[in-house]
Amino acid sequence: MSEVTRLVRRAASLARDRAATQVREGLYGARHALAWLWSHRPPPRRAAALLFATALALVSAASVLSQARLPGRLPTALDWAAVRALLERDARPGDAVAVSPSWAERARELLPASVPVLAQARYAGEDLVGVRRVWLVSLADAPGFRWDTEMDLAERAARSEAPARLGAIEVTRYDLAFPMLPLAFLPDRLAQAEVSLGGARCAPEGSGRFRCGAGPGAVEVERAVREVAGVPRPCLSAAAAAPFDAPLVVAFPSARIGRTLHGHAGPAGGAGVAPVRVAVLLDGEEIGAAEVVSAGWAPFRIDLTRGSGQARPLSLVLTSPGRLALCLDAVVLP
Amino acid sequence: MSLAGAVERGRHLAAWIAARRGRTALAWAAATFLVLAALAGGPGVARDEARVLERSDAALRAPGAVPAEAPPFAAEAAAAARALAVPLGLSHLRAARLGTALLGALLSAALALLAWDLAGPAAALLAPALFWAAPRHLHAGLVATPDLALAALAIATALAWRRAVVDPDARARVRASARAGLLFGAALAARADAWVLLAALALHAGVARLFRAAPAPGALEARLRGAPLALVSTLVLGPLVLLAAWPALLFSPLARAAALAGPGAAATPLGAALSGVPASLQPFVAAALTLPAALLVALAAGAAHAMLRLARALRGSAPAEQAADEVLLLACALAPFAAAAAGIAPASGGVRPVLHAMPFLALLAARTLVAAARVAWPSRAAPLVASLALVVLWPAVRAVAHFHPSGASAWNELVGGAPGAAALRLPRQDGGEGVVRVLDAVNARARDGARVWWPSLAPAALRALGRDGRLRADLAVADGPDDADLAVVALDGTGRDAEYRAWSAFRTARPVAGAYLDEVPLALVYARPGAWR
Repeated sequence: MSEVTRLVRRAASLARDRAATQVREGLYGARHALAWLWSHRPPPRRAAALLFATALALVSAASVLSQARLPGRLPTALDWAAVRALLERDARPGDAVAVSPSWAERARELLPASVPVLAQARYAGEDLVGVRRVWLVSLADAPGFRWDTEMDLAERAARSEAPARLGAIEVTRYDLAFPMLPLAFLPDRLAQAEVSLGGARCAPEGSGRFRCGAGPGAVEVERAVREVAGVPRPCLSAAAAAPFDAPLVVAFPSARIGRTLHGHAGPAGGAGVAPVRVAVLLDGEEIGAAEVVSAGWAPFRIDLTRGSGQARPLSLVLTSPGRLALCLDAVVLP
Repeated sequence: MSLAGAVERGRHLAAWIAARRGRTALAWAAATFLVLAALAGGPGVARDEARVLERSDAALRAPGAVPAEAPPFAAEAAAAARALAVPLGLSHLRAARLGTALLGALLSAALALLAWDLAGPAAALLAPALFWAAPRHLHAGLVATPDLALAALAIATALAWRRAVVDPDARARVRASARAGLLFGAALAARADAWVLLAALALHAGVARLFRAAPAPGALEARLRGAPLALVSTLVLGPLVLLAAWPALLFSPLARAAALAGPGAAATPLGAALSGVPASLQPFVAAALTLPAALLVALAAGAAHAMLRLARALRGSAPAEQAADEVLLLACALAPFAAAAAGIAPASGGVRPVLHAMPFLALLAARTLVAAARVAWPSRAAPLVASLALVVLWPAVRAVAHFHPSGASAWNELVGGAPGAAALRLPRQDGGEGVVRVLDAVNARARDGARVWWPSLAPAALRALGRDGRLRADLAVADGPDDADLAVVALDGTGRDAEYRAWSAFRTARPVAGAYLDEVPLALVYARPGAWR
């Protein structure tokens, strides 16, 4: 063993002994301090009062701090203006804005009207029809912020850019891996459709609106945005205050047919809904049907491969034993 | 004047006010009335308040409409206040709300008096401040709903009741008993679930009888076979006052029995948001999420302190009479929570179903702060009480100032304020009152003669605002989005289908104006192209 090694070992041993001594002394001192404090402790009632006063002061300080910090955690007008400028410069057709948290709907008022704003708590399972890219506008410092929206979009994205920080707002762009780009969104074609109830044609009332019958038993069909399960849904809204026996037929004279008709149905405006049968007729022949009995936004899928690739008459036939307050969307997928 | 001078002056003023029991109560009553009257014009009109205004004023009803049956006290108070104050030049809405301001003054005075009796002058100075330093409590004092009326009448009844039980003078006991009976009757006429107070008072009567000597032979109580005079008076006078205020009860009592038994626990936006919480705990959770945090700690400590004092009295380590007072305060504080948990209280937002518990909790909190200061530092108790009061009240008053006039939208720091509450889908307002915050924009920018659709606002509220000149006279009311140029919607936790129908009708989801509280939308305005200048 060399001299150097021996010296190093000796130094290490000395350091270890010294550290151990210091720890022992520290523990001894702390024990004595605690013993002194314990022997001089206030009576229990006084101790409780002091603890209460201290707790109150701490809670109060935390409250004031929380109140004072809140404005800094929320966006200013300048922050919104910066996001607006960014979107005006970089947004393209097929883009949409998603706000997180979903209550941050000032975006609707301040961001460019050309970019639709989505304000939902979750996006898992949402079709996002016609959307290729999503600009996520996050108030990440806001109280109660959760990362659910980010996770939902990240799962669906082929790629995303690093978030841009604009004051209290973070903007991240997600390019959807599998955007749903339909051949047709049928509610948007209602203006060109014919609507009939039990074979009797319904009178058009303005663009995209029909009224079948008169009085309290009338059925109204229109292109609308309705609340279903707490979310705004652009859909074909069919409402009847009284049950109707005859089938309600919405006939699109010429629709480009793909492989699948994908749709959803649910009660509009929180109303209860009776079971509804949605049948699809191609050239007057039923090629599929779906029973919608769910209270939420229930999906259905009908195979259209028989007529795929052609432009042909397509009809939706609705039958229901009860009163109708239905919101129905349907897209033809390639 | 320097800060030190101002503090010294304030101290002298407080000492002068706190020198006399009656002076303290009067000072609090006057200050409360002035503040409430000054701020009464701020809040919008929620649907609950619109129902009261509609009953109080035929001009606010639709032609031929019959107002819904309800306990009449709040509507009568609003009508009387309006009759007195409108000739003085006040607007109809502010005048109607002066009735609540007067009841707020009664609440402060009764609370100060009871606090003085139970915990001394410092608590009398502090207790009303602890009650009013919560945004939702102040908001209740600014609108003509029956909640604050019940709170005021509950504390006044308890004050009279206690006097009727403990006063050594027999005549004073008789007078106080009569007062308790009359006030309890008025409370019944304010809100149907006020009868739960009787359970709390009867419990106190029972406990007080256990701990007090039997009545002297020949005394009125002895002639009533030991039944407390106040209880007899309450049982007799209460229903009589109710019948006098609401004579219709005589003619079809069965039809109104449901209203008297309590409207039940109808579904509310708050109930829906708290659906994961057991129903019996929801009133406590609602209070815990809406009271400013420091105030919440003080109120909870006050209740715990009272339970401790009760336990000590029952063990015999404190005077036996103390047990009766603790039972009175605790029972009056907890009975409203029990009623709300059982679904007896009206299904309304925030702390409104249990607002009449809050004066008692404020009293207990004030007493606890004073006691804590005395025990913690006996030689410097007064400055320590003042410091503790400042510690509790400073963040609470900041919150009150921040949320006014949207006090019903207030949520505390535990939730994260309005943004945190919105993230939890807690309701953003009571019922459409946030609309008032966009009226200036509508008046300034709506095109001439525009037809406006107000789906979230009660028709009576709209008429009240229009009559007071808060809405431009040329604006017409539309029946639906299809015949409207503008739609003004409130986001109040109920469904948003009406707003989405406006999107469809106007072909835009972009609002032209909005009212926001900490970035959380409360009301939005949508317009057809050309309708917004």
